[in-house]
Amino acid sequence: MSVGRYAAGVATVMMVSGLALAADSVRKDLHFKVGKHPTVSINNPYGPVVVKAGAARQVAVVAILHSDKVELDQSNGHNRVEVTTHLLSGADQNNGLVDYEVLVPADTDLTLQTDSGRIHAEKLQGDLTVAGNNGPIEVTDCTDGHVHVRTLNGSVSLNNVHGHIEIMSVGGNIVMHGVTGTLVSVNSNSGKIEYEGDFGEEGEYAFTSHTGNIDAVAPGYASIDVLARSTNGSVQSDFSLEPKHAPFIIRGANSLSGTLGKAASSVNLFSFSGKIRLKKRQ
Amino acid sequence: MTDAKRPQGNKLSEAEAIERAKQGDAEAFEVLYNLHKRRVYSLCLRMTGNTASAEDLTQEAFLQLFRKIGTFRGESAFSTWLHRMSVNVVLMQLRKKGLPVVPIDETTDGDEEGTIRKEPGAPDERLAGSIDRLQLQRAVDELPPGYRTIFVLHDVEGYEHNEIAELVGCSIGNSKSQLHKARIKLRELLRASRTEKAGRR
Amino acid sequence: MNGKTRGGDVGMNCLQFENALPDYLEGSRTAEQQAHLSVCSACSNLLADLDFISSQAAELRELEDPSPRVWNALEVQLRREGLIRGPVPAIRHSWLLHWRSAWLVPVAAALLIAAGIKLFHPSRVGDTQPIAKQAALKAPAPQPAVSAEDREILKHVASRPPAQVAAYRNDLDQANAFIRDAQDAVRNDPNDIYSQQMLINAYEQKQMLYHLAVDQSNDEQ
Repeated sequence: MSVGRYAAGVATVMMVSGLALAADSVRKDLHFKVGKHPTVSINNPYGPVVVKAGAARQVAVVAILHSDKVELDQSNGHNRVEVTTHLLSGADQNNGLVDYEVLVPADTDLTLQTDSGRIHAEKLQGDLTVAGNNGPIEVTDCTDGHVHVRTLNGSVSLNNVHGHIEIMSVGGNIVMHGVTGTLVSVNSNSGKIEYEGDFGEEGEYAFTSHTGNIDAVAPGYASIDVLARSTNGSVQSDFSLEPKHAPFIIRGANSLSGTLGKAASSVNLFSFSGKIRLKKRQ
Repeated sequence: MTDAKRPQGNKLSEAEAIERAKQGDAEAFEVLYNLHKRRVYSLCLRMTGNTASAEDLTQEAFLQLFRKIGTFRGESAFSTWLHRMSVNVVLMQLRKKGLPVVPIDETTDGDEEGTIRKEPGAPDERLAGSIDRLQLQRAVDELPPGYRTIFVLHDVEGYEHNEIAELVGCSIGNSKSQLHKARIKLRELLRASRTEKAGRR
Repeated sequence: MNGKTRGGDVGMNCLQFENALPDYLEGSRTAEQQAHLSVCSACSNLLADLDFISSQAAELRELEDPSPRVWNALEVQLRREGLIRGPVPAIRHSWLLHWRSAWLVPVAAALLIAAGIKLFHPSRVGDTQPIAKQAALKAPAPQPAVSAEDREILKHVASRPPAQVAAYRNDLDQANAFIRDAQDAVRNDPNDIYSQQMLINAYEQKQMLYHLAVDQSNDEQ
């Protein structure tokens, strides 16, 4: 066995020790060989899905099925792997629970879907698409790819993520730490948007909410061109921005616009009735 | 087995997509890209021999095309237009790198011996039937860049010598003679690879 | 340069044949060349090989697709340069393409989708151009235009546990409220990047609700 495969095997064993095996549970192990830039898709309505980067050229799936009301459907071919939790009749969010732990090559393009399960994706470099209704979504240490997250009311947490990022949420709060990229777009309804980072990479940052507050904390050296506006909420900034001609007519709305440094990145903070605060990192 | 969510067919025709792209429609651009990406990428890959350059050049070719889409009037086929643009992008890249686009015709090539005599002990079998596409692909990738350009443009992509001469900036005669040398060289490479393959058994 | 041919005849030798080969392949064939071919297996093999190579070459024409990364980077650049002027689609995967056109109609009606609107390039310092020069377009009056889609969404989730259905209704209300507020904003300031962005985002949220409801009910079959 090559060193790489041995290491991946060990990693799988260690990872799985975190999964509890209850009496009725059945564990399934799936292994797939893939080429470069494989596409992997996991669809699991109930239960956590944890995906991390593992050895190149293989996909390892460990699934714990908590009852006999669920089964796994899988298909693979043409460098694509799909695993879906199939709910049999009588399945609900308790007995329909399946826990997934998955190792994929770092360059995988990944799609994860859930209803109420937790999603965790880590150390990936391909494109990542996550769709979840209510489960919390965490993306950590992912760089280079496109990251698309959709949620209804699940919380979204991004840590050290770089690339092209689009997040949409209705009620789920969105928290970003160390997130930069050519495009970082967050579209929320009532979910709060919190950003802590330097708005770097000469990117376009667009955070929009209907009623959720928008809080951005940036360092004094940030190089940004800011437009912030809330029709019904207050807009505050710790920074004294260089004024510039605002591209919109201000009619009794709260807004500010201006630049900091070389204005390398554009930052749009728009809300209808949420409060917008642009704070300086201490 | 659960059915995968396969991509839906393109609802837009190419002509519709071109019109919509002029209006800035994102979907239209994507449709045009999907229709032609394989051809452009394969061309770039054949001409450069490596995937990273080919991807960059593909992106650049489409970017240049899309920048000019407002001026496309439909006089020639869209694919022809795109294709020429791709070729130009690749050639420019080769020039930038100082790689020979087409070698100058040399009068004394050391070819006095002729092909036949170069391989006195070579098997006399014809290539047809004993060479697969992969071997041919590999041999093309091994060609020196100048030969490769001409071969890819003429034999793979179907450009005529007068078109190649214009694209590349050489004489028609040069294009013809370089093509011939490229094919001769390929033959050598293929015969060598066939011998090698046989030797491994 | 007058080597003997294999046949020992007067006539061209292999080297001469080879030198004339390019012209031969172009179609100018002399009797001499034909004669040489008929007696020289090496040259006729050479000819056959060159024919084979050039005919097989077309097989290499379209072999591989670039990685999806190429389109992704390209799209970002096209938006940067303002060549793509329009709403950012929520999800790039083409299996959602067919949803887009239906949802863009109300957005198109409400917005000016004309050259010059750059939603991701707000004015930089010193830019005093209005974003769009056309006269204000009338946004659609607030009508229950969305109710057909709402019914559809609720139909798809009807078989779910009541708590979930209630949650969907709540999300739907939020999405509709957003759309109404954004439509108001556009009506007041149609040329304004803020109101345009809000309207697009509001519709995209509705679209997302629709997708999530429909996709999951499909999965449950």
